[in-house]
Order: sequence, then structure tokens, then C-alpha cells
Amino acid sequence: MPEQVVIAGLGCGDVLGHLSEYVDGTVSADLRSSIEEHLRGCDWCARFGGEFSAVVTELRSTLKAPSEPAPDISARLANRLDELFDE
Amino acid sequence: MTALHPSAPIASSDGDLLRQTAEGSRSAFSQLVERHRGAVWALVRRLTPNDALAEEALQEAFIAAFRGAAGWSGSGSVRSWLLTLARHATYRHVRRRAGEPSSFEPLDELGAAAGWGQPVPVDELLARLRDQELVRRAMSRLDPDDCDVLVLRDLLGHTGPESAAALGISLNAMKSRLHRSRLRLIAALREEGFDA
Ligand SMILES: [Zn+2]
Repeated sequence: MPEQVVIAGLGCGDVLGHLSEYVDGTVSADLRSSIEEHLRGCDWCARFGGEFSAVVTELRSTLKAPSEPAPDISARLANRLDELFDE
Repeated sequence: MTALHPSAPIASSDGDLLRQTAEGSRSAFSQLVERHRGAVWALVRRLTPNDALAEEALQEAFIAAFRGAAGWSGSGSVRSWLLTLARHATYRHVRRRAGEPSSFEPLDELGAAAGWGQPVPVDELLARLRDQELVRRAMSRLDPDDCDVLVLRDLLGHTGPESAAALGISLNAMKSRLHRSRLRLIAALREEGFDA
């Protein structure tokens, strides 16, 4: 592992720790600008940050790909409820 | 009290429908099923290897909801509650790895396993991420708590506060768990021979 650097008050480990929040847009404005300053000055974090961001985007699109239940799934559920709960 | 008018044409809230279900109204329950079966399906199908198991998990979740309607706390959304039941139903069918939660592992070790500091091309990882079945298998290797937070945030798209409430943890704890879970998932997908 390359030697870690401190830029804008953040070490590489700090940047690693905030990457999800950074990608999700839930960091404060101050922290965001510090992270961005660090990324501009640190190739290591810039590369991993870019990969991490691409990975999270891809993960979401895979997980959210549309999928529909079979149209008669509700009818089958109703039948099971009949068996279980109706006298 | 309007609870004795189950055929009222005005759209009822989820909470009203669930209360009517608790009083035995099958038609109120049917409306809930129609409203939420798409979201429940999206969840169970991503966590199970085939349509048959997904349907079994969906049916068990709704049966549990019908049976437990009176036990709904009344706080939080009915959809979150249904999705919790669906996660639990899924985990009864899908073999889960008894891995330890990522919260026990130092962050830099999680990062290193996910490729932090390693000049490895990301293209193959992205290709693996486009494969639904590989992603499902990687998720099945996560600790259930780690998997839950990914499901809530990255699959169902719930907000941070909603996800934290559904998991019963603080927002900061949720954020930390989410990040660690993503790193774990990346590490699982990177693992050599994973798809062999
Ligand atoms: Zn750095």
C-alpha cells in the first residue's frame, strides 16, 4: 500500500471512511469540499473513489432492475389464505 | 369510528387497511397486497435464486402480515413493515453464511479487500456487478445485518432516516454499516474464482 497522505485535513483513511456518504450526497458542504480537495491531490484516493462511485451506481442499477411478479400471484396467495384461515 | 365500512370507495391509508385486516377483513388485506406486492417482489426476487423461491417467500411474508396485522406497531410505514417480513421470509429459504458483521473489521482492511490502494482494473468488477445472479450470490455471503442495509438503501432506495428507523439504529450507525457492507460486497465480487 502506498504511503498515506493528509490533504485538507483528511488522511486517505478518512476519505475511505466517508466515500459512501460522499457518493450518496449526504456529507456536509465543508466535508465535501475537503474530500474533493484531497481527491484532487491524491491519485490513490481519486482512483479508488472513482471506482467506488462507479461500483455503487452499477450495484444500484442491477438491484433496481425491474421485475414483476406473476399476474396470478395474488390469486394463489388468496387460495392459501382460504386454506389457512377460513373454516 | 369508520372501521365498519370496509366497502367505502375512498382510498384508505395503509394503516387503515391493516387495522381492518386485523379485524378480519380479507378485502382490506387484498388491497394492501395489490399496493405492495411489487415492492415485496422486487426484494424477494433479488435475494432468492429463482422465481419459485421468490414466490414462496412473498406468500409467506403476506401470510405473516395477515396473521400479525394486529401486532403492527402503528409507527413507521406499513410498507417497511411488510418488507421486513419479506426479508425474514427470504432468509428462511436462502442459506445464509454465518459471517461476522463487517462492523468488527477495521475499515482499512475492509477497504483493502475491496481494492483500496490496488491498481486493479475495475472493468471486470463492473461486468460482474451487471450479473444479477452473481450479485445475489455475493449478497448471500454477507452477514444478514449487512445485507439488510444494502437492501434498504441500494435496492429499495429508502432514505437514510427511513432505513435507520427500519433497522432500529441511529442514522450514523446506518451510514457506517452501509459503507462497510458495500466494501464487503465489492470484496466478495472481486474474490478470485468467485463465479467458478
Ligand atoms: Zn488519499
